[in-house]
Amino acid sequence: MNFLPTAAQTRRAFLGRVSQGVGAVALASLLGKTSPPLHGAAARGVVDPLPLPQRAKRVIWLTMAGGPSQFETFDPKPKLAQLHGEAMPESLTRGQQLAQLQGQRLVCHAPQFPFAKFGKNQTEICSLFPHIGSVVDDICLIRSMTTDAINHDPAHMFMNTGSQIAGRPSMGAWVNYGLGSEAENLPGFVVMVSTGPGRSPQPIATRQWSSGFLPSRFQGVQLHGRGDAVHYLANPGHVSRAQQRTDVTAINALNRQHDAFVHDPEIATRIAQYELAFQLQASVPELTDLRGEDARTLALYGCAPGDGSFAANCLLARRLAERGVRFIQLYHRDWDHHSQLREEMPLKAQETDRASAALITDLKQRGMLDDTLVVWTGEFGRTPMSQQTKGTAGRDHHNKSMSLWLAGGGVQRGLVYGATDEFGYAATENICTVHDLHATMLHLLGIRHDAFTVKFQGLDAKLTGVEGGRVIQGILG
Amino acid sequence: MISWPNFRRAVPALAVLAAVVAARAEDTFYAQRVAPILEQKCVACHGEKKQKGKLRLDSFAHLMRGGEGGGVVQSGDAKDSELFIRVTLHPADEDFMPADSKPPLTPDEVKVLELWIAAGASATAPLSSIKGAPALAAPKAPVAALAPDWQPRSAQIARLEEELGVRLVARSHLPTDGLVLRTAGAPTRCDDAALAKLAPVADLIVEAELARTKITDAGLVWLATFSNLRALDLTRTRVTSAGLGSLASLGKLESLNLTSTGVDDAGVARLKDLPALRKTWVFDTRVTGVTADPAASAK
Repeated sequence: MNFLPTAAQTRRAFLGRVSQGVGAVALASLLGKTSPPLHGAAARGVVDPLPLPQRAKRVIWLTMAGGPSQFETFDPKPKLAQLHGEAMPESLTRGQQLAQLQGQRLVCHAPQFPFAKFGKNQTEICSLFPHIGSVVDDICLIRSMTTDAINHDPAHMFMNTGSQIAGRPSMGAWVNYGLGSEAENLPGFVVMVSTGPGRSPQPIATRQWSSGFLPSRFQGVQLHGRGDAVHYLANPGHVSRAQQRTDVTAINALNRQHDAFVHDPEIATRIAQYELAFQLQASVPELTDLRGEDARTLALYGCAPGDGSFAANCLLARRLAERGVRFIQLYHRDWDHHSQLREEMPLKAQETDRASAALITDLKQRGMLDDTLVVWTGEFGRTPMSQQTKGTAGRDHHNKSMSLWLAGGGVQRGLVYGATDEFGYAATENICTVHDLHATMLHLLGIRHDAFTVKFQGLDAKLTGVEGGRVIQGILG
Repeated sequence: MISWPNFRRAVPALAVLAAVVAARAEDTFYAQRVAPILEQKCVACHGEKKQKGKLRLDSFAHLMRGGEGGGVVQSGDAKDSELFIRVTLHPADEDFMPADSKPPLTPDEVKVLELWIAAGASATAPLSSIKGAPALAAPKAPVAALAPDWQPRSAQIARLEEELGVRLVARSHLPTDGLVLRTAGAPTRCDDAALAKLAPVADLIVEAELARTKITDAGLVWLATFSNLRALDLTRTRVTSAGLGSLASLGKLESLNLTSTGVDDAGVARLKDLPALRKTWVFDTRVTGVTADPAASAK
């Protein structure tokens, strides 16, 4: 078995090689004893029955790509305001990781906007986000998150897969692998990306919703908010739905024959994807047709149908949730405020504040918030120090403190969890890691994170990694 | 402090001596406070059946004998006792106990161990002799069965799933936690006739997700046989107030979602006698008197 250490990254390749040499079925069944059989992972999911009570049936993950500043969103720091322009204490920053501020003078930068008090607990939130403030009694705000990564792509990768290095399954893929997909005519893991008008920030790579070493039918499927939701989905004019059905059936029959012979999970994926694509031809137009949504709902989110905005995607997220989609991830880009923080933060607030709150309100009024877990987070936080590379000041990437919030699906409502030091430089109380966040989310979905493993490269790979995540018990409702 | 080997030899003598003055075993701090913690949190892996690390914690004698690494209790010194150290490490530490993310000791339980070791780790010290122990929490009621065990009917369940194109999912690993009826994958397949056909497993269904299905008032009659139903979602179905009368027998129903249905005030009035109903959603219906705050519509 000397090919094992050099085998390519996927089990598909591994099984492919095995099928050329040893008896594929025998070995596959042998492997099946130690890990859930990837090949047969049914729509039902491999974790069945669930070991824990399922508090959340689905996840809507709002990713604020670029890394929102906690100082202009959810972590008030009056002391930092007083120290504006003064040097940051070296005791905090010496020897610590920096991104673009390396070698530069580290100067305190005051929060740029006032904070206001919201909700029955008078929680302080930046005044740019009054709508999120209005639902603060329904959300659980964590001010003590930390991450390992300090650059965008690895930070997203860490947030999505628990590893900074690409190649692991994204959480949406893990969750669909574990729980199965509820929707028959939509993907179990849907991704949408939005950008403010006229902007072109860093791209979001599709590898962020990869299925990694899980069969690729668990990968995220991107729907577009503007134009065709799925490119090249409609049949050409001369092809009828009946013809298409015949074609797909015939192709899948051939694929099944081949699959029975070689037992390659990627063929099962291909069969499933042909079928799904056929279903999508009918389900996507229905999904994106917002004519059934009344004017009140459109006003609540603040969007027009098909405008491609974050707000429209939030409304689509609710519609996807209603249709049984397990994991919905929305990216809104352009939070990377190295400069012009004061000028640009209000734009981001405008694009996301009303819509984020509307999603909570809408899910709640429809009785869906109880079993939908909503997460609002960037990939990292930002420095309390100013960055003055170009234009007016901004803040650099930062991994020792960041704020995020969760709502619904079994988390406490109206809770503020954890705290940072008075500079907002580092999380000091109830410090949380990304692995902890993943462990907690899996817990709420009814899965024990430490027992949810897949054999990969000789290890029991898991979303929460080897460093050990722990369920954040303090936020469970 | 006496060294551990000496102490071990001394135990029988001490025990005999102490027995004279000490309370009956069931009144001791060890029996009342320490043993239950070990029993609940440790003995699954350190007991009669399994002895991980060659350690048993299912009796005082076993506890004092220690494991393959030696003694686990340094009488009088909690901070130097492996038993205490292991349960107070960072939970992510690989030596943390209980291992494998089994439920950790609560802060109160840790305190009890600490006080007991500090007071000499005695088998015989009376309950009242160790002061400052956190009060015992009221005992939790045993988990009630939500429905009969579904397992004997698993073949029937699988057949119905196949025939009706719905899913009947176990709520948890507890077979008496009931089933969830799921239709979101293809809601249009679920209609009144399908509900009627579910009658043989109706008592197993604890949650029924019927949003966007073709269920009508006529179909709700069949729901009356879902005797263990706790949550019912009828969002965007053609159900009206007239049909809600059929739900009157659902004595366990706690949550009812009527969003975007034809229900009006008369329907809500029909629900007022449901004894367990706590939450009703009537968003996007003709029900009046509902404020903009959806929380207010929760009964």
